[in-house]
Amino acid sequence: MKSNFIFGVTGLALLSLLTGCDAVSDSTDDNKELVVYSSRNEMFVSDLLDKFKEDTGIEVKALHGVEPLQILEERNNTQADVFISNDIGALEYLNQEELLKATDPDNIESIEEVYRAENNEWIALSSRARGFIYNKDLIDESDVPTKMEELIDNDYSDIKNGYAITRGGNGGMISNVSALRYEWGDERTQEWIESIQDNSAAIFEGHGDIRRAVGEGIHAFGLVNNYYYHQQLLEPQDNNVGFVYPDQEEGEMGAIVNGAGLGLLKDSPNEDSAQVFLNWLLEEENQLAFVGESLEVPINSNLTPPFEEAVKLTDLNVQEMPLRELGNYFEDTRLLIEDAGLDLNLK
Amino acid sequence: MSHHTLRKKIKPDNLSRLFKFDRAIWHGNKPSRSLLGVSIVIALIMTLPLLYVIYQSFLAGSESWMRLLDTRIPQLLWNTLSLGIAVTLTSTFIGVSLAWLVTRTDLPGRRIWRWLLALPLVVPPYVGAVTYIIVLGPRGWLYQAIQAAYGNDFSLTFDIYSFYGVFLVMTLFTYPYVYLVTSASLRKISQTYEEVGRSLGYNGFHIFFKIILPMLVPAIGAGGVLVFLYVISDFGAVSMLRYVTFTSAIYYQRAGFDIPSASVLSLVLIGITVIVLLIEKLMKQKKAYYQTKGIAKESRTLSLGKYKHISLFYVVFLFLISVALPIIVLVYWTMIGAGSGLIDSSIFEYTLNSFQIAGATAGLSMILSVPLVYLYSRHHSIVSSLIYKLSYTGYALPGVIVALGLVFVFNNHIPFLYNTVFLVIIAQLIRFMPQVLQSGETAMNMISPRIDESARSLGHSTWKVIFFITLPAILPGLLAGGALVFVSSLKELPVTLMLRPPGFDTLAIRVYYQASEAIYAQAAPGALIIILVSILPLYYLLKNY
Repeated sequence: MKSNFIFGVTGLALLSLLTGCDAVSDSTDDNKELVVYSSRNEMFVSDLLDKFKEDTGIEVKALHGVEPLQILEERNNTQADVFISNDIGALEYLNQEELLKATDPDNIESIEEVYRAENNEWIALSSRARGFIYNKDLIDESDVPTKMEELIDNDYSDIKNGYAITRGGNGGMISNVSALRYEWGDERTQEWIESIQDNSAAIFEGHGDIRRAVGEGIHAFGLVNNYYYHQQLLEPQDNNVGFVYPDQEEGEMGAIVNGAGLGLLKDSPNEDSAQVFLNWLLEEENQLAFVGESLEVPINSNLTPPFEEAVKLTDLNVQEMPLRELGNYFEDTRLLIEDAGLDLNLK
Repeated sequence: MSHHTLRKKIKPDNLSRLFKFDRAIWHGNKPSRSLLGVSIVIALIMTLPLLYVIYQSFLAGSESWMRLLDTRIPQLLWNTLSLGIAVTLTSTFIGVSLAWLVTRTDLPGRRIWRWLLALPLVVPPYVGAVTYIIVLGPRGWLYQAIQAAYGNDFSLTFDIYSFYGVFLVMTLFTYPYVYLVTSASLRKISQTYEEVGRSLGYNGFHIFFKIILPMLVPAIGAGGVLVFLYVISDFGAVSMLRYVTFTSAIYYQRAGFDIPSASVLSLVLIGITVIVLLIEKLMKQKKAYYQTKGIAKESRTLSLGKYKHISLFYVVFLFLISVALPIIVLVYWTMIGAGSGLIDSSIFEYTLNSFQIAGATAGLSMILSVPLVYLYSRHHSIVSSLIYKLSYTGYALPGVIVALGLVFVFNNHIPFLYNTVFLVIIAQLIRFMPQVLQSGETAMNMISPRIDESARSLGHSTWKVIFFITLPAILPGLLAGGALVFVSSLKELPVTLMLRPPGFDTLAIRVYYQASEAIYAQAAPGALIIILVSILPLYYLLKNY
């Protein structure tokens, strides 16, 4: 029995060694393929990429959970053709580092100019707004903050189970802080960060954790993007939640908006496939597929959001900052957050 | 002119001194140049990531150091050390008590328990973490059961995403290290000592604490060190339970490509590892003497008497929570997944990828360890043991550090291999090849050096001797080691996660991703496959201990 087992394992090992080498040499084939780096949730992106493969026959190799600095680090050895990002700040930052390439795809006019880079080095396709998801069993809508600034003035210690925020290094939090810096300047923003760090009842890794925790009643409200509220509404249970868009009154700042989009990389190894992908993606059907299960709101206002009750961008009082401004704050917002005492990563 | 003659005079003298030195190092048994060369190259590859990370951490500059010393390092030290120490102490208690119950008492069913209690070893801690999130998590089985029984009045206060959650999971899935090492040692200790104790009128527990325990110290120490090193290098379970140690902090820093910070944190973790290994070495030097020959009739066991029931309960309880519960949870979710059609053919692709990586790593480990083992055991010298020990570097190092070093080296200096499957295989080789070295060395020591010495003296080249004489003789040992490498590689998470090329996923990665997204029906079947395959080589492991 012993020797049988040994030979079984060796056979298996050698077999897989052979096939392993085979798999490796595969990658040097010049079959049409597209390498996608993405910082967006894998669940939202993989259906889109499957659809692309089905429509065009181009093989897609995706790496999920990529941070923009990886692309910077690989600048002399570019690996990816396309970078899909859930933060326009990151895309504009890469653009300023001259890592993205100018494009002119079909149907580009369906996206308003403020939602793309100067020469379409990046293009945003879906949008989200910051706001407060709250548990209707735990807190009255009137007690939920209606302005970002209220988080400085009120510590919400009288609210049962308190409120939740994400760690400082979360992409959504970073762009939230960048937008506040644009609006208020650094001093007031730092005060805001210090307040939420001190007063929040919990700091989570990501927004998905917050929506679940608020839905389950572990916390009364949480600072998230609006689509997490849409997602929680669709849960079979723990879905008695509401959402408040802050700063909506006349003369107030307006909701902080960010987008998700993509850019093509300079020196990309499969240039043709990347162009095909961009043209394909701007077809209206595929713009919707990009939004996909995220339940974000499409930037193209002619499209019906996949989550039909979603508040359209045009119906919101939105902050007057062009999204590309986020790129100017990308690098040092992290430092500001750290200096204000909010850790980028969970301890 | 005089200069010239001087040199002429000195040169031969120097040379002969060099020859003498050379002969003294190798005890007159110098290896062939090619064998030495190949071994040095392999050893250098094995240490490459470590050297590069240390180099980078010095480049990081004092500013990075000061910032991290101020902010992150104190907290990370506390998180890492408190978890490591708590888990080590508890696993040691559990491991030693189980080993004693199974080898020395009349515990009912002890022959079967001996095997069953080692089984948690095949459950990777990140899989264990998933199952405990499913059971003890915020909306888990326990919560639902309490809700069903008491309604909303009773609230569950245990938070699985906490120190205690990580502590529980890590303890349950690492105690077998202590259990196995201690049982092996217990079986070697002659029972005459206990008989002496008994004749002095000691009862069973006195005998254990006064006589047996002191003799077990080296084994317990070795098991404890294994557990401690495992805990501080674990990435999967720790990050799934949202706890941050040095290892997971390094992972997140590198994800953001904050290379200086990642290297600085790595250097601290390397320091902790080295200190632990030094402590182990000190403990080994004080190793107690115990008799292994003339083992008396094994049949004499201590009667547990009135403690029999409570002991049996203890053993059954541990088995239930560390083996039965995880398996039940995984089978349950696999069935749900199969029923709702959530399991698709992609799982075959992931399994194939996993087997390819594991097969290549195991195959290459077996091939590359042959020259190292041969050099080490046939050409004793400081040089050969240095080469051999350097090849063990990756074994003690946390995977995240190995991966971090390779990212630097390949992205900056060997770009055409960056982002390929080769990188994953090289990294796993560095981590796991020492398992083959261990078993290969044992096999090598069992064949007489005279055979190949005489073959070499007949003028056959070293490589010919290795291939036709040594290799067939040590093959079973190599294969046993290879089987262990195969399984380790199949379960491997952090290195694969950090180095895999786009579009390449393994079972372990899918299990990790799907479990962190709470898609348990898809995570469970992959986890079950990993566990089932891991059971195979356990047979060897148990025989060795």
